[in-house]
Amino acid sequence: MNMHRRVPTLVALVLASVSAAPLLAQGTSVLPIADVKTRSAVQREIARAESKGLPTQPLVAKAMEGVTKQATGEQIRDAVSSLAKRLEQARALLAPSPSAAEVASGADALRAGVPAPMVKKIRAAWPADQSVVMPLDVMTELVARGIPASRALERLTSLMAKGATPSQIAALGSSVQSDVAAGLAPDAALEVRARGVMSLLNSPAAGASLAPTGQRPPR
Amino acid sequence: MSDERDLLIARVRETLRADPAAAPEPRAVAQVLQAVWQSPRPSLWQRAVEAWRGAAVTPARATGLAAVALLLGFVTRGVVVEPAAPAVAARPAGSSAFPAQRVADVADGLVQTQFVYDGKAESVSLVGDFNDWQGGVTPLDRLETGVWTVTVPLPPGRHVYAFLIDGTLVVADPRAPKSGDADYGQEGSVVMVFAR
Repeated sequence: MNMHRRVPTLVALVLASVSAAPLLAQGTSVLPIADVKTRSAVQREIARAESKGLPTQPLVAKAMEGVTKQATGEQIRDAVSSLAKRLEQARALLAPSPSAAEVASGADALRAGVPAPMVKKIRAAWPADQSVVMPLDVMTELVARGIPASRALERLTSLMAKGATPSQIAALGSSVQSDVAAGLAPDAALEVRARGVMSLLNSPAAGASLAPTGQRPPR
Repeated sequence: MSDERDLLIARVRETLRADPAAAPEPRAVAQVLQAVWQSPRPSLWQRAVEAWRGAAVTPARATGLAAVALLLGFVTRGVVVEPAAPAVAARPAGSSAFPAQRVADVADGLVQTQFVYDGKAESVSLVGDFNDWQGGVTPLDRLETGVWTVTVPLPPGRHVYAFLIDGTLVVADPRAPKSGDADYGQEGSVVMVFAR
């Protein structure tokens, strides 16, 4: 009799443990969010993402960012919920099998204002067996610097089609970032840097011929 | 070397701006900048060869050459152990040449990246998407110059970060561009990490 009474309790405990395991693994049970309502909402959002196979680390980071910045509970809930939607959208855009890092980069691109079809185009323009994190991150950075998304996409996909490496793509983003910080107009910075990379891709020998000779050219 | 190139690029840019009559074609500007960017710096070995080339062989030089040969012998035998050098040498506080961050080297796909905060504080820690914005996890060290710094391994890509001052105040890196992402009404800073 006693055994019969204990069975449902044991089953409930096992089920609770199983359902809590992913959260414990993610460390969400120790999310330092004082507001119980917010903490529960964030944990539910993370559990939902987990069940969908979405990366949960970005959600934890977004919640923690809110805690560190002393945001209100409502702000944290909204930010985490919005990010969860972007992660799901990004995963669909980067199908068939994007990595967690690619999904997170895609979500960041969407947040920065990169239109969804452009995220898809970047994936299509990059070799399927290579991580598309860097092209997506550079696209995000270019748009964040104030370059129209259509212009940034045009330049990036041109470089990709010519076989630009991840390092060359990253150097483009970094150089444009520095140029804009130095006062150059974003459009002009992209134009100059993209042409520089393109000239290397068009003619590998051109780089060598442009190497300084140590002599001052005639004026 | 990156600083030198940046300085050179800045000079090229200033020269072009100062002489509007020149009005170079954008492609020409790109080629000049790219050439500066791509131009290899002579290696230590090349400079040493240049220094020796054409010089008369004196007893002192011969002794020096012998010493170098002996040292190379020790190195190849594994007797000499090179001490690990710091990623970036400390510079005086307030120096305009002090970088906000710098890519140092790559290991296991991660890039050692330095962060610098130059301001008054009792404690400073780095918070960002790479450490789940957890304050205190990545503290900065205070140098004798008063500058705070830390070097952390980061995966290549775009990272958003900020400094947490005295455990409560979140400030963006004044030397880095803003993230443009203000979910909480406060932008972070951006660093593009990649292996050169």
